[in-house]
Amino acid sequence: MIFAVLIPLLIACFIPYLSKIKHKIHTGYFVFIIPLVIFIYFVRFIGNDFTPVRQTVNWIPSLGINFDFYLDGLSLLFVLLISGIGALVVLYSIFYLSNQERLGHFYVYLLMFMTAMLGVVLSDNIFVLYTFWELTSISSFLLIGYWHFKERSRYGALKSMMITIFGGLSMFGGFILLSVITGTTSIQQMIAQSDMILTSDYLPLILILILLGAFTKSAQFPFHIWLPDAMEAPTPVSAYLHSATMVKAGLFLVARFSPVFSGYELFFIIVSLIGIITLCWGSYMAVRQTDLKAILAFSTVSQLGMIMAMLGFGTEAAVFAAVFHILNHATFKGSLFMVAGIIDHETGTRDIRKLGGLLTFMPMTATLALFGTFSMAGVPLPFLNGFYSKELFFDATLGLDAATILSQAIPYLAVFGSIFTFVYSMYFFFGVFTGPKQFNLLPKKPHEAPMGMLISPIVLVLGVVVIGLFPNLANAPFLLHAAQAVNSGVEFHEVSFWHGFKPPLIMSLIVVGLGTVLVMTRKKWASVYTVLPGRLSFNKAYDKLIEKIDSYSAGVTNYYMNGSLKTYMTLILGTTLIVTFIFMLLTNGFALSTDNSADFSVLEISVVIIMIIAAIATIFMNHNVAAILVLGVVGFGVAILFVTYRAPDIALTQLVIETISVALFLLCFYHLPKLKKSTDSAKTKIANATIAIGFGALMTAIGISAHSSNWFDSISEYFIETSYTLGGGDNIVNVILVDMRGLDTLFEIAVLGIAALAIIGLIKYKKNKGAE
Amino acid sequence: MEIIISILSGVLFAAAIYNILQKQLLRIVIGTTLLSHGAHLFIFTMGKLKTGQPPVLTDGISDYTDPLPQALILTSIVISFGVTSLLLVLAYRTTQENNTDNMEQLRGSENE
Amino acid sequence: MSNLAVLPIIIPLISAIILVFFNSKVNISRGLAKLFSLINLSVALYINWYVLENGSIILETGDWAAPYGIILVVDSLAAILVLTTNLIAAACAFYAPNAGLERKEKFYFYPLFFFLISGVSGAFVTGDLFNLFVFFEVLLMASYGLIVLGGDKVQLRESLKYLLINVFSSMLFVTAIAFLYAVVGTVNMAHIAQRVQEVEQQGVLTAIGVLLFFVFATKAALFPLYYWLPKSYVVPNPVISALFGALLTKVGIYSILRVFSLIFVYKLELTHETFIWIAGLSMIFGVIGALSTNNIKLIIAYNIIPAIGFIILGIGVLNQESLGGSVYYLIHDMIIKAALFLIVGVIAYIAGTSDLRKMGGLINYYPFLGWLLFVAAFVLAGIPPFSGFIGKLLLLQGAFKEGEIAIVIIGLLTSLLILYSIMKIFIKGFWGDKDAMGDFKKKPVKGMIAPIVFLLAFSVALGVGAEYFYPIVDSIAAYLLDPEIYIDSVLKE
Repeated sequence: MIFAVLIPLLIACFIPYLSKIKHKIHTGYFVFIIPLVIFIYFVRFIGNDFTPVRQTVNWIPSLGINFDFYLDGLSLLFVLLISGIGALVVLYSIFYLSNQERLGHFYVYLLMFMTAMLGVVLSDNIFVLYTFWELTSISSFLLIGYWHFKERSRYGALKSMMITIFGGLSMFGGFILLSVITGTTSIQQMIAQSDMILTSDYLPLILILILLGAFTKSAQFPFHIWLPDAMEAPTPVSAYLHSATMVKAGLFLVARFSPVFSGYELFFIIVSLIGIITLCWGSYMAVRQTDLKAILAFSTVSQLGMIMAMLGFGTEAAVFAAVFHILNHATFKGSLFMVAGIIDHETGTRDIRKLGGLLTFMPMTATLALFGTFSMAGVPLPFLNGFYSKELFFDATLGLDAATILSQAIPYLAVFGSIFTFVYSMYFFFGVFTGPKQFNLLPKKPHEAPMGMLISPIVLVLGVVVIGLFPNLANAPFLLHAAQAVNSGVEFHEVSFWHGFKPPLIMSLIVVGLGTVLVMTRKKWASVYTVLPGRLSFNKAYDKLIEKIDSYSAGVTNYYMNGSLKTYMTLILGTTLIVTFIFMLLTNGFALSTDNSADFSVLEISVVIIMIIAAIATIFMNHNVAAILVLGVVGFGVAILFVTYRAPDIALTQLVIETISVALFLLCFYHLPKLKKSTDSAKTKIANATIAIGFGALMTAIGISAHSSNWFDSISEYFIETSYTLGGGDNIVNVILVDMRGLDTLFEIAVLGIAALAIIGLIKYKKNKGAE
Repeated sequence: MEIIISILSGVLFAAAIYNILQKQLLRIVIGTTLLSHGAHLFIFTMGKLKTGQPPVLTDGISDYTDPLPQALILTSIVISFGVTSLLLVLAYRTTQENNTDNMEQLRGSENE
Repeated sequence: MSNLAVLPIIIPLISAIILVFFNSKVNISRGLAKLFSLINLSVALYINWYVLENGSIILETGDWAAPYGIILVVDSLAAILVLTTNLIAAACAFYAPNAGLERKEKFYFYPLFFFLISGVSGAFVTGDLFNLFVFFEVLLMASYGLIVLGGDKVQLRESLKYLLINVFSSMLFVTAIAFLYAVVGTVNMAHIAQRVQEVEQQGVLTAIGVLLFFVFATKAALFPLYYWLPKSYVVPNPVISALFGALLTKVGIYSILRVFSLIFVYKLELTHETFIWIAGLSMIFGVIGALSTNNIKLIIAYNIIPAIGFIILGIGVLNQESLGGSVYYLIHDMIIKAALFLIVGVIAYIAGTSDLRKMGGLINYYPFLGWLLFVAAFVLAGIPPFSGFIGKLLLLQGAFKEGEIAIVIIGLLTSLLILYSIMKIFIKGFWGDKDAMGDFKKKPVKGMIAPIVFLLAFSVALGVGAEYFYPIVDSIAAYLLDPEIYIDSVLKE
């Protein structure tokens, strides 16, 4: 099983080589075999006595991250969709994409996606699932951006990635919480321990985080906005990722975690509500579109919403209907995308305003579209699978516990959404294939597509019809297992075309009736779109957000990152000062003790006073030489203090260094501009002084407190004891420097050396520049 | 006396920081030098001042000043010297290259 | 065998000195630099192996017993960081001859380079606080030398700010060491830890710790002390930026990790709780900075800040998962930051500009480079199965265990924006028409690509092969969580 998942990725590594020989054979033929083999491998599992299969391959066992593949009914449904539709899409793409395209890239991305998607639906390990989940986002990003020289492609690719990875990360957050709470990384074990999750304080947070992942991926309102823009991808990709498989990953996730959350009220409310809103909004917006693929995109949004809502209901009937519709949607929507691709390919446009009257020119395509659209609309005909799932959906909406306003409103909203579904389905079919011919508007003269391109949609439409005619065919051996994985209470359910004149049928008839009226009068009521959505647009919100992120960040950053050393220093000093002071207070850090203090004489006091005056004078000196001299006074003062307090070595060093420094200063100051009087305002001066004095005071306070908290003997005692015996020297400071802390001294010299190199670099580089 | 020297060091810090917060490069360099003086005095104070003889072993004397801070200061003085020298040259070169010694005119803009 | 501990410091030092003499002979310098970096790398590998087999290497320099002399402590954390440092150094040594340094190579680039490595390794292995200061100065001084190389107007200007801020924090560092010495009477870290523990970090100790934190935080570029970083990392040659981005800030954060897992761990509710706040703010402001600009180098430079935020988060939370996460993230970030700086270096070189608005369609000419950037973006954002993911997973798990929900959410959002900031480079710079940049002339970049591949391979291995690395990191985390082990190993009690 793991092999089946990884095989596309492995083959993908060879695609660049295979595509080298593309001039003889289209790369697609090699690729086509892969999903086909996977499909055949998995189709063998179908059967009435199917039991889940598990296979584990260790990856990072110490973190509990393993390739833990678990094939149950739900996974099987998705695996077959992924490989089955995958095979058809690859076949279709052979005729859709010419040899001139960068086929190598295309198929690498596609195979990468296949592995990712198979991984998502088969992983029982949450973190592996997350890994594959992000990989689907990445491959989707690459596929949408396949024609990256188009601005719209780049825009769509980034948008889809931002939204789906946002969801992915939030889901990851939810997974982390789940793993910490349950102590396991296996979904099945989490289901077994759902009590632990349901009693956790973090339950609402976990739910929302995981649902964000599902909703973004499955393009639920208001995250649906990425899907229409994802239509910039080549049509085979739209048919595959953005209708049949990837966008259903969100549904899969909700279905997978349903056993955990099913009893939780908030789960029902959020999922049903968002699902039903998405259904209505998607179908309502689809009618407004003019691009064929955009219609299908919004239609996909709406259908996903419908399935999401059913998963939210969580009742046996609803879950079965959801599973059933996942299959049905893949068949009719897949075929419709391919039809749209054919029309685009053969006429050069997807703009429905330019299209019309193609029936006679493209009879095969028209027939396929007829089945697809009518099935999507849920027209009550016994050979259309869409009708059955719609009936089941209506039935499910009526079977809710009618305690809340939401569950009472749901049937009405369902009918509302379905009416618009009917409208855009009819609009799609009749707008393209009937009506006035305006071939002068078309870039190409329309003609029927080549047979190869038609095979895949034909297969899918056959699926529509077969399921329509024999709705129970796949029921017991296949769909039932899938439904039971979501809700173990689901029992075998006979689906039949005629089940009496009951409410669902009445709802269907209302849909068809009102829908027909609306189709007829579409032009008359089209102005409602200026009211709703009118100026309200989530797309604009996204664009604004992205734009604002950039401009706000620039604003915020440039505000404080203004390049001024003074600003930086003020902020650094201010923060250090305030925070350290607060910590001093909080920890009772202040201490004052005069024990152990050295005594002092007039000499020392006068040196100190002179130094203080000199230090302050540096601020007011407006002459270079005077400033250096005053600075020198401080330096020599330090040396005198070292002398009076019995530190001959450092006193000496200080004197030498101070002398050299003064010389160096004089040298440099000679070249530097003259000191000017400060032109700062009084306010700035006070602010500077406050920070300066505050910081000085803080250091003094900590210094005094530190000195007063003399709790331990110094290690110096040891140095004094051993200086001669072990170090062989009388001058303890010297012994410390060259022996005990010789490493310090070595690198202190290194520092001087580096400084010398740096200075040479600074001075010489300039000179040579002129010479060359 | 430790308290007095701590206060002195604090004043050196304050004067240093005030200088660093100025616009003219020269003052800022002066500030860093003052800062190192302040820091060294702090290290010095943190040992015990004048409770003994200079830390050079002499027969019959067992009470010496704390030698470790002195060793640390020595290292630090030398390092500070290196840094100050580099800083001076850098200040000189920057002023030369940019034709100003005013840090506020050395902000730079975003698009470089 | 304990003399092994000094090798990672001494070999680069000697290399640097030798290279000073070959300064004018560029070809010899290049060859020697590559050779020395490989020697260093193999020594670091051996040390790692040795430490994993035999435990920490403790070297009492000059045979002066702890805590009196300077002690070098190569524990598993130091060893692995030294190894990572040398990996990056090797990549940079091989990248440098192709990096368009031109005459800069003749102005002591290679000696300064090895001095820097010596200082960084020294900071990782030393067990003495004052010695840490000395190594800080070594690496800072080398970095000053490197950053001013070339002497452009802009470069000098930004170097000056960089230098001044660092001078300030260095002085604060020695002062804080002095304060600490006054209280506990020692500068050996294990000894300090022992004595701080004895008095339960009472009185002024916490304030001194906070001062030290600010010193390190300035070097580590944490909020709100990172102002010096972005622009000063942009001005030098990319290979220098890579060294800085990968190593310098990491030494700062390493010091925080060491000091605040070993010494100041008795007022967690004050200090470490603050770290979590700082972590969140660093992430937010850092990534906002990354989004604020169209300069590709600046984008990467700003991305250093949120990464440091992630690492400090682990230190703030201070449990086994979070510390493991911090260490993992630290290693991961060193490698990926180096790789990213090198990548944008190549981009800026071939495009002739760092301004994203003037780029486009590069993938038509440099597909491989484009995919390297693409992978690097996901590595950086912590998308599985790359190295950032493992670190992030551990960090967030650790944070959640302590109930720090808000920071988990900030961390996740930051990851998204980090990804966005790098993807911008990919989409705007690489995608697009062939003639998006007008008449484009291809420049050879092979010699620059190989080191990047080398580094990225490690990033991928660190993620995919986490089963091998994680137990090591986990044991480091357990080790850090228990200061006694360190104290006992140094003081031999």
